[in-house]
Amino acid sequence: MEKTNIVPETVLTASKLYKKRSQLADIWHNFKKNKGAVLGLIILGIIAVMAIVSGFVLDYDTQIVRQVVRERLQGPSLKHFFGTDQYGRDIFLRILYGARYSLTIGIVAVMVSLAIGGVFGIIAGYFGGVIENAIMRTCDIFSSIPSILLAICISTAFGASIFILMISVGVVSVPAFARVARASVMTVRDQEYIEAAYASGASRLRIMFSHILPNSLAPIMVQVTMRVGSAIITASSLSFLGLGIPAPAPEWGSMLAEGRSFIRDYSYMTMFPGLAIVITVLSINLIGDGLRDALDPKLKR
Amino acid sequence: MYKYIISRLLLLIPIMLAVSFIVFFIVDLAPGDVVDILAGTEMSEADIARIREELGLNDPLLTRYFRYMAGLVRGDLGISFVTNRDVFEVYMLRLPATLQLATSGTVVALLIAIPLGINAAVHQNTWRDSGSMVVGLLGLSIPTFWLGLLMIIIFSLKLGWFPSIGNDTPLSIILPAITVGSGQAALTMRTTRSSMLEVIRQDYLRTARAKGVSEKVVIRKHAFKNALIPILTVIGTQFGVALGGAVMTETVFAWPGVGRLIIDSINNRDTQMVTGAIIMTTMLSSVVILLIDIAYAFVDPRIKARYSK
Amino acid sequence: MNNKNLILNIENLVVHYETENGTVKAVNGIDLKLNKKRAIGLVGETGAGKTTTALAMLRLVPDPPGVIKSGVIELDGENILEKSIKELEKIRGKDISMIFQDPMTALNPVFTVGEQIAESIILHEKVSTAEANTRAKEMLEMVGIPGHRAKDYPHQFSGGMKQRVVIAIALACHTKLLIADEPTTALDVTIQAQVLELMNKLKEEYQTSLIMITHDLGIVAEVCDEVAVMYAGRIIEQGTLRDVFNKTKHPYTEGLFNSLPNVNNRKAKLQPIPGLMPDPTDLPVGCSFSPRCPYANDNCRENKPIPRWISDTHMVECSAYDDPTFHIARGEK
Repeated sequence: MEKTNIVPETVLTASKLYKKRSQLADIWHNFKKNKGAVLGLIILGIIAVMAIVSGFVLDYDTQIVRQVVRERLQGPSLKHFFGTDQYGRDIFLRILYGARYSLTIGIVAVMVSLAIGGVFGIIAGYFGGVIENAIMRTCDIFSSIPSILLAICISTAFGASIFILMISVGVVSVPAFARVARASVMTVRDQEYIEAAYASGASRLRIMFSHILPNSLAPIMVQVTMRVGSAIITASSLSFLGLGIPAPAPEWGSMLAEGRSFIRDYSYMTMFPGLAIVITVLSINLIGDGLRDALDPKLKR
Repeated sequence: MYKYIISRLLLLIPIMLAVSFIVFFIVDLAPGDVVDILAGTEMSEADIARIREELGLNDPLLTRYFRYMAGLVRGDLGISFVTNRDVFEVYMLRLPATLQLATSGTVVALLIAIPLGINAAVHQNTWRDSGSMVVGLLGLSIPTFWLGLLMIIIFSLKLGWFPSIGNDTPLSIILPAITVGSGQAALTMRTTRSSMLEVIRQDYLRTARAKGVSEKVVIRKHAFKNALIPILTVIGTQFGVALGGAVMTETVFAWPGVGRLIIDSINNRDTQMVTGAIIMTTMLSSVVILLIDIAYAFVDPRIKARYSK
Repeated sequence: MNNKNLILNIENLVVHYETENGTVKAVNGIDLKLNKKRAIGLVGETGAGKTTTALAMLRLVPDPPGVIKSGVIELDGENILEKSIKELEKIRGKDISMIFQDPMTALNPVFTVGEQIAESIILHEKVSTAEANTRAKEMLEMVGIPGHRAKDYPHQFSGGMKQRVVIAIALACHTKLLIADEPTTALDVTIQAQVLELMNKLKEEYQTSLIMITHDLGIVAEVCDEVAVMYAGRIIEQGTLRDVFNKTKHPYTEGLFNSLPNVNNRKAKLQPIPGLMPDPTDLPVGCSFSPRCPYANDNCRENKPIPRWISDTHMVECSAYDDPTFHIARGEK
């Protein structure tokens, strides 16, 4: 017997199994059904709050960066939840503060990708022809460079700083956004209500922004959430390699690089920052998955 | 059929040119150049200027680029100013180690991902499915380098089963391969699952069942061959990712491949090596994607037909 | 009816789909008997339960969410519902075959048509691969496709030809009972005629019994000996062609005939049946057709009708006939 959970089309159309709800409420309802997604939202919320609060509550110079030789290399304890590193700095506090870097970089980098990629994608999809071809070929070329190598390339060329990090991580995702934007535009462009808008005299620009853009939003939103997670990982990878945010900033990747020298006897130094990355990215990915399922219920059925 | 292969190969050339130009351009933007490193403090300004002229470093970007590409075609990527060795030669020396890593990683990924993906699709919405999805999502959330460190902590330091550094013993490949493979497995599994889900609702499976084909054969033969097509793409792109991602794994495990070569060269300001290595790696990645595209045509007769007529 | 002569005996079949939003009562207790070498048309609108009934006969109802709640389905004397999966796999494609509505998606795109026909033969008969391939080619010729095209892929055929291939697969093992679920609905009218002619010819040739599922009464008239009309999961009228076409009894059947445009009287208004099919998750209390029935009375609306045999062959399920003087407008000719 087939193990498929599919009701035959003819049976479905005959019955009224679907209740009516507003579109946004519908999306939220579907999203809520996904326990993982809700969990992700909660966790991310906590992390975001920690990131914001630690900026106000913790003092960078005394608590994050100052070296206290007396307290170096202590394992996890009540005084130092995650222990201390080789300079005596409290790892727990550094991780809390480090959330600021990871979240900021993740969000800004993706905003950069979205801005550049999205604009190019919309232009490509809307105008078609030579312009579309040129833009998409360029995207293909950039995509064929393995992303981490591209990011390394840019970071090396321009030096290690938080600003360059955001740019290089962002550039890596531009082709993906361009493609999604273009695909969205192409689907929407051919719908009849766009023809209707033309017929009633709206200008091309107006159509692009008030009609095409809002309807292309859904797949773009999904891409955004997916990319923030990978942006955080790429950023911490670059920092791990020494190409990211310079010491003594408590970026999770560079904390892992430092901890590596002490991996034999002080493995907790590599455990906690790594866990921080995993939990943050996981919660973002859960949200992204939930969003994607909520926006396109056909996929899940 | 051959026309298709040839046309794809030809397409590769402008892509390689563009890619190598981008890499060349970006690396070139880095402040300072080799002369600064070589010169030290004893040389006079005039000498430095003269050496620059001799090395052709004052020529415009495009000229230098074309000179470089002309060399590339001959297999000459120049000599590293830092190590004094031929860039191409060094790269080729280190490449096998990375290929070995990328291949074993891909094999590990396939062994994990495909059965899990098929299983998840066939048992959609049961705990088997959600469990696999969570595991897949977890895989996408773990940075490769941290996974490597974790593997070292558990399997090398605490348990002592495998070595953590270098390429000395046959066992050395195990931990790095699993590290690379797990990262790839996550995405491959999700793609396998969604591809199988697409196929599972197809009518031709119903036709097969109505013929009396057993469920196992329906899934394995009828469904999977159709699901293979998107899976192939993922494998191809994953290999490219593995090549790039080898950078991280090789750094963590001190694996003597091209990834570590790139990082070491960056730290040594060896621009010649960096440029050459990144360009070579990217080209390799493109070739793999091309090979996957060709494999496509053999698996999907519709595509084969389109390109043979 | 002689039991030995029955190819199919369905008694009180009930099939529901249990979804999270409600239970869809697709098939609500049908009885169907078909003699060997006969063809019956199963008529009804979309959602009446015809496809589900057919799938149940092969036990291909998607499970979950479909459940065969009760009933007996006997194929040539053997109860299908009691068979194990392995036994079913032997029966499907050999003793009973089914062809589906959309030929465009019915064939696997990555295998040649020859392979797909041969697969059926290899599964059910002990022959070598070479022999199976030869027979596959023969089957193609039987359905009017040159044998050398066995090595071609489905996308290289037109819709009508694909459906012929589907028929070839279904009949490759000389099946006893063929179920055709709207096989011509997706095809052009001219191709439709060709495919029907082919089915008629093969039916004669192989002495196959046929269940033709359709909403088109014209097709029934061409191909079938008997008719069963389904509505909301029940068979509400059943009989020979003559019984149902000329001595129509059920108001719904009358409605179906009335909906057909009258070629001779172009000025006559179209007479559709008012209203819609009831929601299978929420069926009416009494007769399912009563909300739309021009003859319905309170008895109809409150109580479910019971089957009534007007002759040996003709059955109708309508409470209005409790009144012996009742007759519908379409009367006897």
